[in-house]
Amino acid sequence: MKRKTSLRIALLSLLSAMTAWLILTFDATDPAITLSIGGPFEFTSQEPSKDGFIYTRMQVAETLVKVEPDGTLTPGLASHWQESDDRLRWRFELREGVRFHDGTLMSADSVVQSLRAALTKPSMLHQANIVALSSDEEALLLTLAHPYRSLPALLAHYHSVILAPNSYDPDGNVHQLIGSGPYQIHAVKPPHKLVTRRFGDYWGPKAEIEYARYLTGHRAESRALQAQSNQADLIYTLDPASLEMLGRLQQVEIASESIPRTAMIKLNNGHPMLDTPEVRQAISLALDRTGMAEHVVRVPGSEAYQLFPPSLAAWHLAQPPQQQRDLAKAKALLADQGWQADDEGLLWRDGVPFALPLVTYADRPELTVIATAIQAQLREVGIQLTVVVDNSSAIPAGHHDGSLAMALVARNYGVIADPLAVMLDDNASHHGSDWGHMNWSDPALNALLDTMTQSRDADEYHALAQQAALHYAEAMPVIPVVFYTQQIAIAQRLDNFQFDPFELNYRLSEMRFTPHD
Amino acid sequence: MIKLLYRRLMQAIFVAWSVGSLTFLLMHLLPGDFAYRIAAGRYGYDHVTQAAADAVRLELGLDRPIWQQYFAWLGDLLQFNFGNSLVSGAPVLQEIDHQLGHSLQLALYAVVISLLIAVPVGIYCGKRANSVADRFGLFTSVMLRAQPVFVIGLLLVLTLAMNIGWLPVAGFGGSQYLILPAIALSLSLAALSNRIIRNNTHQVMHSSYLQFARLKGLSEQQAFDRHAAPNIALPVIAFVGVQAVSLIEGIVMIESLFSWPGIGHALAHAIFGRDVPMIQATALMMGLLFVAINTAVDVIGYLLDPRQRQEVEYAEV
Amino acid sequence: MLKFDLRAPTTLLGVFLLFALLILVLFEQLAHGVDGTVQLLDNAFALPSWQEPLGTDQFGRSNLARLSAAIQISLWMSLLCVITAATLGTVAGIAAAWLRGWVDASIGFVVNVLMALPGLILVLLIGALFPGSFTALYIAISLVLWVEFFRVVRAQTLSLLASPEIEASRLYGFGPLYLFRRHLLPRLLPSLLPLACFGAGNAILALASIGFVYVGLQPPRAELGLMMVELFPYYSDAPWVLAQPVLCVFALILSFNLIAGGFRHDH
Repeated sequence: MKRKTSLRIALLSLLSAMTAWLILTFDATDPAITLSIGGPFEFTSQEPSKDGFIYTRMQVAETLVKVEPDGTLTPGLASHWQESDDRLRWRFELREGVRFHDGTLMSADSVVQSLRAALTKPSMLHQANIVALSSDEEALLLTLAHPYRSLPALLAHYHSVILAPNSYDPDGNVHQLIGSGPYQIHAVKPPHKLVTRRFGDYWGPKAEIEYARYLTGHRAESRALQAQSNQADLIYTLDPASLEMLGRLQQVEIASESIPRTAMIKLNNGHPMLDTPEVRQAISLALDRTGMAEHVVRVPGSEAYQLFPPSLAAWHLAQPPQQQRDLAKAKALLADQGWQADDEGLLWRDGVPFALPLVTYADRPELTVIATAIQAQLREVGIQLTVVVDNSSAIPAGHHDGSLAMALVARNYGVIADPLAVMLDDNASHHGSDWGHMNWSDPALNALLDTMTQSRDADEYHALAQQAALHYAEAMPVIPVVFYTQQIAIAQRLDNFQFDPFELNYRLSEMRFTPHD
Repeated sequence: MIKLLYRRLMQAIFVAWSVGSLTFLLMHLLPGDFAYRIAAGRYGYDHVTQAAADAVRLELGLDRPIWQQYFAWLGDLLQFNFGNSLVSGAPVLQEIDHQLGHSLQLALYAVVISLLIAVPVGIYCGKRANSVADRFGLFTSVMLRAQPVFVIGLLLVLTLAMNIGWLPVAGFGGSQYLILPAIALSLSLAALSNRIIRNNTHQVMHSSYLQFARLKGLSEQQAFDRHAAPNIALPVIAFVGVQAVSLIEGIVMIESLFSWPGIGHALAHAIFGRDVPMIQATALMMGLLFVAINTAVDVIGYLLDPRQRQEVEYAEV
Repeated sequence: MLKFDLRAPTTLLGVFLLFALLILVLFEQLAHGVDGTVQLLDNAFALPSWQEPLGTDQFGRSNLARLSAAIQISLWMSLLCVITAATLGTVAGIAAAWLRGWVDASIGFVVNVLMALPGLILVLLIGALFPGSFTALYIAISLVLWVEFFRVVRAQTLSLLASPEIEASRLYGFGPLYLFRRHLLPRLLPSLLPLACFGAGNAILALASIGFVYVGLQPPRAELGLMMVELFPYYSDAPWVLAQPVLCVFALILSFNLIAGGFRHDH
C-alpha cells in the first residue's frame, strides 16, 4: 500500500515537474527586443578559420578592411592603407580607440597576434605569400614575397578577423572569441544557436536592436514555414519551391539579391569524351537554362551564359557569346565529333556510350534539383548522366586524383571581394584548381591576368576583366548554368534591411523594428 | 539491481564496440579520401581544397595503416575517451551534450504523452470490449499505424501550426517548440500501445482473480485499483521497452522534420552531408540511448514487480 | 491450423487496396506509356486531364508514371526483402535450434550485433555507405527483417523438436528434409505468414522513411518517401500532388497490415 502511494507521488511529481518545465521555459526570449535570424549554416566552434563567417555576419568580429555591397573596399579596423613602390611592403594604419568586448583596447600587437594565429591555420591569407608581419606604434606592416594586388580584399575575409589577445589559448587556438563588433556574444550553442547582445562601447554607430539570435535550420521547407508563421525576422537561403507561396503573403517580404556565386558544370577537360571545345559547346547548347531559371531556381533572368554574375560588375559581360538553347546545333556538333545516335537516341562512339556520372553535393539543396534537370536535358541529345550525390569534398578529391568527369558545383567567386585572386589561383597551372576548371589552360588568358596584377588604373582593369570574362565565355572550360540569388524573407516589422552580397556581414546593427508593431 | 545494471552496462559497452567498429569500417570503405571529407566538414564547401585536406591528414595521422588507427581508436574507447570531434576539434562529449539533452527531452515527453493518451483510452476500450468506442479506437489506431511517423508530423504542422497558428512550426527555443514534435511522436507510439493496454485490460477484467476479488466484496473500483491496475501496468512498462526501437526511429524522423536539434537530426544531417565523423558519433549515441531507455524500463519493472527481481537473481546464477 | 479468413471485412479491404494499387500500376504500364523521367518545365503542376489522369509534378513530369514507378519499387523491395529475410531467418532459426552449440552461439552473436542499433539506424548507416543503391538498401532492410523471423523460428523449432511426434519421426530414421516438410513447416507457417505481411509493411515504411531524409534512393528515381519530401515545399501550391505519395504509402502499409490480420489461428 505504502509502495503504491509513493509510486503515485513519484508519478505525479514527474508529471508536474514536466509541466512546470514547459511553462517555465516557454518563450525564453523576448521577441520585442530580439532580432531573430534563421539560415542553413551550421557552425561547430569559435575558430575563425572554420566558423568565422558566423561571427562576422552576426557582427561580433571585425576585420581590418570592410567590403561595401558593390565590392569596393573601405576602412574597417584599419583607417587607411598604402603599398610601397616595389609593391612588396604594405602599411595598415589602425583605428584608434577600438575596444574589444572584454574592455581591452586594440593594439598593433593584438592585430599581429590575430593574423599570426590565422596564418597557422588553413586560410585565404596564405594566398598572399606573407613573409613578415610586424607593427610599429599605430600600424601593421606586412611584407610579401611577390606583389599581390588583392591583399586588402584578403584582409576583409572572415579568416582574418582581429580578436582580443584573451581569445587565444597558449597553443594559438581560439577558445573564446572576443571581438570588437557592435554585438557581443551572449550565448553560443554550437551547432545551432548563437545569441548576441548590443555592445555599448562600440567604436562606431551602436546597434539599434538589443539582441540578435541566429538559429540553424537545416531543412529549407522548415525555414519557409518559419518565415510564413512569423517565427523569424530574417530567413536566409529560402528554397525556390517556397518562393511563390511566401510571395503571396502580407507579413513577409522577399528580397532577391544577386550574389557572386554561379552554379556550373566542372568538367575534366582531359577526359576522352570531354576534351574538345566542340563537345563542351554542345553540352552548353543542350542546356535549357531559361527553363531552369524560371522553373527550377524560380528566379527569371538568372540563367548564366558566362561565369561572372551581375554582382561582379567589372567581370560581368553585357552580351555573352551564346544566349540561348540550340538543340539542333548541339546534336550537329556531337555528330561531328563521331557520336552516333542509336534507336533510343543515345549516343555511341566506337562501341562506347556517352554516359558519365555527374557528381554533386547535398549541402546546397538546389544543386541536386538542377542536376536532375540537367540530366533530363542532356538526355535529349543522347548524353546519359547518372547523378551522384556525394560529400562536397568528393569534388576537390576527384580533381586531384583525376577521377572526376563532370560535377555540378556552386562556385563562390566572392570568397574574397576581388575575383582576380581566384582567377590567378585557377590558372596557376594547366591542372586547374579545386573548384575551378580542370586540365585546361589558355596562354592568352594568363597574359591578360598577369597584366591585371600590374594594373593600377581602374578603367584599364575593367577593360582587361571584360576580356578575361569573354575568354571564359567562349572556351567554356567550365559550363555556367545559373547565377545564384540569395532569397531572404524579411518580416514586416523589420526596417532598413541591408544586404551584403559577399555574405561577410548581415549588417544587423543598422536594422530596427518599426515602432508601432 | 546491481546485476541488472551490470548487465546493461555490458550491453552498452558491446553496443559502443559494435557501432564504433561498424562505423569505423564504414568510414574506411567509403570511396574517396577521408581527409577530404573531414576538411569539408571543418571548413565548409567553399574552402575544402587539397591544402586543407593535407593539413587534416597531418594533424590526425590519417596516413597511418588502418589497423593502427583502429586500435588507437579502440584504446581510447576503453578509457572512455571518445576523443575530439574530427570536425570541430572540440571534445565529442561536449559537442554531443547539447544535442543529447534535446533528444532525451523529446523522448521523455513523447513517452509520457503517449502513455497519457494510451492508458485512459486503452483501459476505457478494454472495459468495454467490442463496443462502438472500442471499434472506433481500433480504427483510429489502425489508421495511425499505417502512417509513417513523419506523415503524422507533417499533418500536424499543416493543421495546428500553419492554419491555426498555435505553435511554432519548427526550430527550437522555448518549450513551445517541443510540443508539436512530442505530440507527433507520441501519437505514433500510442497507436500501438493503447491496443496492448486494451487487450491486457480485457484479459484482466475477465480473469478469475478479479472475479474473486469482486466476490469477496470489494467494489468495482477497489477491485480494479488493487488487483487489475498492477497487472495491466506491468506488461505496459515492458512494452515501452519494446517500443524503444520505434521511439528512436521516430526521433530520427521527427527531429529531422521539425529541425529539433537532437541526435537524430544530427545523424540524418550528417548522413545527408556525408559527414562521416559526425555519423560515427551520433550513431554511437543513438545506440547508447537505446540501451539507456531499456535500462530505465528494466529498473522501473524491477521496482514494481517482485517476480522480475527474482528472475534477475536467477538469470545471473 | 492456419486459416486465412478472406471473408473478414478488414482482410477484404486490405486485399482490395493492394489490388487497386496493382491495377493502377497495370493501367499505367499498358495504357499510359509516358516516361516518368521526362521533364516539361513549362507544364509544372498541370491539373489532371485525360492525358495525365493524376496531373504533373514540379518538373512537369507525369504523376501517374512516377507513382506507378514508385509503387513498383516499394513492392519489389518489400517482396525481395521479405523472401530473403524469411528464408534466411527460417534456415538460420532451424539450424540454430537443431544444431545448438557453436552454430547457435555464433548466429546469436550476429543477431546481437544487429540488434545493438534500432533497425532504421542500421539502414541509414548502410544507405550512407552506398548512396542511392537499391541493392544496398535491399541488403540493409533484409538484415533488419530476418532477425524477427530467426527468433520466432528458433523458439518454435526448439519446442517442436522436443515434441513426441518429431522424436518418433527421428527414431524411425526420417531425414531432416522430411522432418522439415512434414513436421516443421506446417507448424511454422501460421507464424511466418503474418510476420511476412508485417515485414512487407515495415520494408515499405523503412524505404519511405530513409527517402524522406534524402538517404535512400536518389533523384530522379521515383520513390514514395523521396517524392513526399520533394513535394513538401509545394504543399500550398499543389496539395493534391503532395497527397498522392502520402496516400500511396498509407494504402500500401494499411493493406499489408490488414492482410496480416487476416491470418487467424484456429483454436
